[in-house]
Amino acid sequence: MGMEQAWLIPAIPAAAAGILILFGKYLPRKGDWLSVLAIGTSFVLFFFVLHDLTDALARGGEFTAVHSGREWVRIGSFNLRIGFQVDQLAAVMLAVVSFISLMVQVYSLGYMKGDKRYGWYFAVQSLFAAAMLTLVLADNFLLLYFAWEGVGLCSFLLIGHYHERRSAAEAAKKAFITTRLGDVGLLIGAILLYRSVGTFDMSTIFDAARSGQIDHAYLTAAVLLILLGAMGKSAQFPFHVWLPDAMEGPTPVSALIHAATMVVAGVYLVARTMPHFQVVDGTLVAVTAVGLITTFMSAAMGLVMTDIKRVVAYSTLNSLGLMFIALGAGSVTVALLYVFTHAFFKALLFLASGSVYHATDELEVTQMGGLAKKMPVTAAVFTLGAMSMAGLVPLAGFWNKDELLLSTFENHNIFVYLAVLVSVLITALYMTRLVLLVFTGKPRNEHVYEHAHEPGPAMKLPLLLLGVLTVFAGFVVFDGVGRLMGLPGGFGEFVFTHEPEVFRINAGVTASSILLVLVGIAGGFYFWGGAAERAKAVGEKMPQVYSLLRNKFYMDDAYQWVIDRVVLVVAGVVSWYDRVIVNDTGVNGTADATRFSGFLLKFHETGLMPNYALLMTVGVVVLAVIAFIVGT
Amino acid sequence: MPHNYLLLPLIALPLATSLVLLAVPSRYANVVRYIAAASSLALLGLSLYVFFAYQFGDGDSVIQFEGRWPWLENVGFLGANGITLHLGVDGISAPMVLLNGIVAFTGVLISWKIDYRTKDFVVLFFALVAGVFGTFISLDLFFFFFFYELAVLPMFLLIAVWGASSRFPTFVRTKEYGAMKLTLYLVAASVLVFVGIFAIFVKANIGTFDLPALYNVQFSEGFQKAVFPVFVIGCGVLAGLWPFHTWSPDGHVAAPTAVSMLHAGVLMKLGAFGIIRLGIQLLPEGAQFWMPGVMVLATTNVIYGAVSAMAQRDFKYMVGYSSVSHMGYVLMGLATLNPIGVNGAVLQMFSHGIMTALMFAMVGAVYDQAHVRDMSVFGGLANKMPRFTAFFAVAGLASLGLPGLSGFVAEFHIFVGTFHTYPAFGALAIFGAAITAAYILRMLAMAFFGPFNEKWSKLKEMSRWEQAAGAILIFFLLFMGLWPAPFIDRISSTVLTLVALK
Repeated sequence: MGMEQAWLIPAIPAAAAGILILFGKYLPRKGDWLSVLAIGTSFVLFFFVLHDLTDALARGGEFTAVHSGREWVRIGSFNLRIGFQVDQLAAVMLAVVSFISLMVQVYSLGYMKGDKRYGWYFAVQSLFAAAMLTLVLADNFLLLYFAWEGVGLCSFLLIGHYHERRSAAEAAKKAFITTRLGDVGLLIGAILLYRSVGTFDMSTIFDAARSGQIDHAYLTAAVLLILLGAMGKSAQFPFHVWLPDAMEGPTPVSALIHAATMVVAGVYLVARTMPHFQVVDGTLVAVTAVGLITTFMSAAMGLVMTDIKRVVAYSTLNSLGLMFIALGAGSVTVALLYVFTHAFFKALLFLASGSVYHATDELEVTQMGGLAKKMPVTAAVFTLGAMSMAGLVPLAGFWNKDELLLSTFENHNIFVYLAVLVSVLITALYMTRLVLLVFTGKPRNEHVYEHAHEPGPAMKLPLLLLGVLTVFAGFVVFDGVGRLMGLPGGFGEFVFTHEPEVFRINAGVTASSILLVLVGIAGGFYFWGGAAERAKAVGEKMPQVYSLLRNKFYMDDAYQWVIDRVVLVVAGVVSWYDRVIVNDTGVNGTADATRFSGFLLKFHETGLMPNYALLMTVGVVVLAVIAFIVGT
Repeated sequence: MPHNYLLLPLIALPLATSLVLLAVPSRYANVVRYIAAASSLALLGLSLYVFFAYQFGDGDSVIQFEGRWPWLENVGFLGANGITLHLGVDGISAPMVLLNGIVAFTGVLISWKIDYRTKDFVVLFFALVAGVFGTFISLDLFFFFFFYELAVLPMFLLIAVWGASSRFPTFVRTKEYGAMKLTLYLVAASVLVFVGIFAIFVKANIGTFDLPALYNVQFSEGFQKAVFPVFVIGCGVLAGLWPFHTWSPDGHVAAPTAVSMLHAGVLMKLGAFGIIRLGIQLLPEGAQFWMPGVMVLATTNVIYGAVSAMAQRDFKYMVGYSSVSHMGYVLMGLATLNPIGVNGAVLQMFSHGIMTALMFAMVGAVYDQAHVRDMSVFGGLANKMPRFTAFFAVAGLASLGLPGLSGFVAEFHIFVGTFHTYPAFGALAIFGAAITAAYILRMLAMAFFGPFNEKWSKLKEMSRWEQAAGAILIFFLLFMGLWPAPFIDRISSTVLTLVALK
C-alpha cells in the first residue's frame, strides 16, 4: 500500500455509500457501523500513504507528485482520465478530511440517535467523505469538478436533512444554487485551459502557464473564472450568503462540511492552482480583496448575531476570509496551516455547540446563560475552541494567525496588515461574547437550564480528542515537532517543497497580535460580562449600525429582490412571449390565416355553371397572354 | 451482401404485436397488457443485444447487421436497388435503438393502469414504436421517411383520445388542440423533409434511394447550401428547434404519460437523428456553411427554454420547456461539427431520452393520483412518498448536469466541443445549466420539501410497475454517468468517419 493505491482512500467510503443507499435499511443499526468502519479504514490507509510519501521525500532529489488512475473516455486523441495524485498538499488535506470525518461520524452515532432518517444520514456522510477525498486527490480538472459537484450535492442533501422545515428546504436550495453559480466559473475556466493546452491534467497546464504558452489575457480570464468557483464553495463575498443559512443542517454536518472540510475546498483549489495566480499579475490582489471584504463583513455580523451556530458560522466565514488573505500573500503554506488547525478548533466549536443544542433544544443565546455549571466539559472545550479562534497563545489558532500576520506584513502593504490586526481584535471580542452569553451569568431561561446535561460517550470522545488537538496542533510550526511526526523539515518545508517556508517569530508582530487578542478578550468581558448591560447600551446608541448588521448588510434582501423582481419577471415575460406571441400569434395565426383564405375562396364555389365557364375562359386567356409574352 | 436478420424483428415484432392484439377481444385487458409487456421486453433484450454486439473500432467498422430486402427495382425512374428495405446500424443508431428499447419497455410498465380502451392504446403505441425503430435502422431514404411518418401519426390519436386537457386561469389548452397542433406542425415539417429527399434523389440521378450509395455522391456546393436548410428545419421542428418548438410543450402536456415519455424521450431524437443522417452525412458542405446559424438558434433554445421553464408552475410544462432547453444542447453539439461536440450531441440524445422519460413517468405517477399538476399546491411530498421523491430528484439532478449521472457526461462533451469553435456560446450553454439548477431545485423545494400539505394525505407511494420502470431508467442514468466508455466507443467509431467533421 503506497501512493499508487491512494485511490482506495475515497473508493472505500464510496463503496460503503453505495451499499448503504441500496441496502442500508436491511442492515443492523441501519449500517451506521459500515460508514464509520469505511472512513476509519480510509484514515488508517492515509498513514500508509503518508509514510510512503515521507520516504519518497527523504530520498531527496526533485519530488514530483505520484500519479495513478485509468482512462475514462477516449474519442480519437481526446481523452479523459480518472487520475489521482499524491503530494504534500494532498496529504495535508487527506489528514484533515479523513480525521474530521471520522470524528464527526463517531459523534453522530450519539447525536443523530433516533433520527427519522438515521440510515440515510450515514449513507450521505459516506458519500460526502468519498467525494471530498476524491476532490483533494484529483490530478485533473475534470475529476476535480466531478468531486466538487459531488460534495455540493451532499451538502445540499445534508443541509436539507430536516426537509420538513421550510427554512431547511430553502437553505439547501440556496446553498446549491449559490455555489452552482460559482461552479459555472470553474467549469468555464477549466475548459478554457483545456482549449489552450489540450488536456485537463493540472501539472501539464501549470507547466504550460509557467512557460508562457498560454496567452496572457486568456490565462487571466481563466484564472479569474476558477477563482469564482473557489469563492462560491468557500463562501466568499458576494457568495457568502449561503453559509450562515446552511446551519439548518444537523450540527455534526455543520462541523464537517460547513466548517472543516468542504468550505475549505475553495482555499484548496486556489492553493492547488497557485502557479496560475503567480503567473498572472493582479489575480492575487483580487484574492486578497475578496478575503478582506469577507473577513470584515463576517466579523461585524458575528458581533450581533444571537444564534450560537450562526455566530460560529460567521467566525468560519471570518477564517475563510483570512485564508484567502494568506493565499493572496502567495503563501500556500500559511493557508494550509490555517486549514489544518482551523479544522480542529472549528469542528470542536460546532460539535460543542451541538451538544448544547442536543441537551437543551435551543440555539438562541438569549435563552441560555450559566450553562457551564450543568455541562462543564462542554463549556471547557467550547471555551478552548473559542479562545483558539480568537488566537490566544499558545492554542492552535494563535500560531496560524501569527504566521498569517507575518506573511501579510512581509508580502502585502501595511493596509492589509493593519486590517488583519483589526479583525483579530473583533474576533476576540465576539468569541468572548459568545462564551460569556452561553456559559456564564444567570440562566435566562429556566426551562433550558433545567434540561442542560453532558452528552454521552460517543459525543464526548470526539470533543475531548479535538480539544487536545486544539491545544497541540499549532505546534507543527516548529521544525522539531515536524521531525518527530516523521515529516522531514517540519510543516513549512513539507507542504511546499518548491519554496520551503520557514516559520519564524517576528517579535513585533507577535507582540501586537497577543496584545490585541488580550484587549479583545478584556473588551468582551467589559461589554458582555454580567448582564451585558454595556453592550446593549452601545447597540441602542447606534441603532442604524445595529440593524444594518442584524440584517446582514441587507444582502439577502437584495438578492431576494433581484430574484423576485428581475429573474422571475424576466422568466414570466419570456414565457408569456412564448405563449402569446410565438404560439397564439405565430402558430395559431398561421392556422387562422389558412382558415380565413379558405373562407374567402369558398365564395368562388357558387355551383353555377356560367361562373365556372367564365373563370376557365379568363384563365385560358391569361395563360395565353403569359405564354405569348414569355415566348417573344 | 449477406443477409442479417437480426434487425428485422425490431420492426416486425412491434408491428406483429399490433396486429395480434387487434385479434384479442378488448375485454381481456390484462391479456393485452401481458402481451405488450412480453413483446416490449423482447424488444428491450434485442436492442440490448444490438447495442452490445456492435463491434467498434477507431474510426472504421461503420454499418453492421446489414440486411437488404428489395421492394421496387428497375421500374420507371428506379434503377438497381431503387427502393429496398435496407437495414443496418452504425455507432450513432446503436445507442438510439437501445434508447427506444428502454423507453418502450418502461412506457408499457407505466401504462399498466390505463383502463380506457387499453387494447386500442397498446395497438397504436406499438405502431409508434415500430416507426421509431424503423427510422433508426433504415438505410434507405424511402423507408426512412415512411417510418418517420409512421412514428408521428399514431401520436394524434394517442393524444386526442387518451390525453388530458388543461384549464389555467388565463388560458385553456384542450387535448384536441395539442394533438392537432403537434400533428399539423410535424406533418408540415415532414413535407420539407420530403422535398429535400426528392431533391437529393433527382440531383444524384443514380436511380436509388439507398443512403450508403447516396453518401458516395458528390453534390455541388450550391446544391448543398440550398438543400441543407430544408433538412435542418424539417427535422429541426421535430427536435424542437427554436422558434418551431411550441408544438412540444403543449403536446407533452396534453399527452398521456407513456406517450409523453416516448414523445420527449425518443421522438424528438428522431429529429436530431434526421439532421445527422440527412443533413450532416448527405450534405457535408451545406452543413459547414449553415451550422454557425444553427448554433445561434440552438443556444437560443437552451437559454429560452430554461428561462421559460423557470416561469412554469405546471409540472409538465416545466418538463416540456426543459426538453426544449435540453434539445438545444443536442443541436449545439451537432452545430459544432467537431468529433467531441457531435459525440456529446448523441450522448445527450440518449441521456435526455432516459432522463425526460423518467421525469414524465414520475409526473404521471403523481398526476394519476392527485389529478393536479400545479407544483405550488403540493408541499412536503417527500414525507409521504420518499421513493417517488428520490426518483424525481435523480431525474432532476441528471437534468441539471450533476456529475455521476448521464447528463453531465453528455453536456460536458458538448461544452468542450462548443468551446473549440464558439467560446461565447459555450459559456452561455454552461450558464444555461445553472438556470436549469435554479428551476429544478425550485420545483423540488416547492413540491417535495417543506411541511407536508395534509390535503394530500391520501396520496400513496408509486405502484410497483412505476417503481420498476423508474429503477430501470435510473440504472441507465447512472451507467452512462459513471462508465460512459461503452457508449462513447460506439458513437465515436462512427462520428470520427463523418466527412463533414474533417
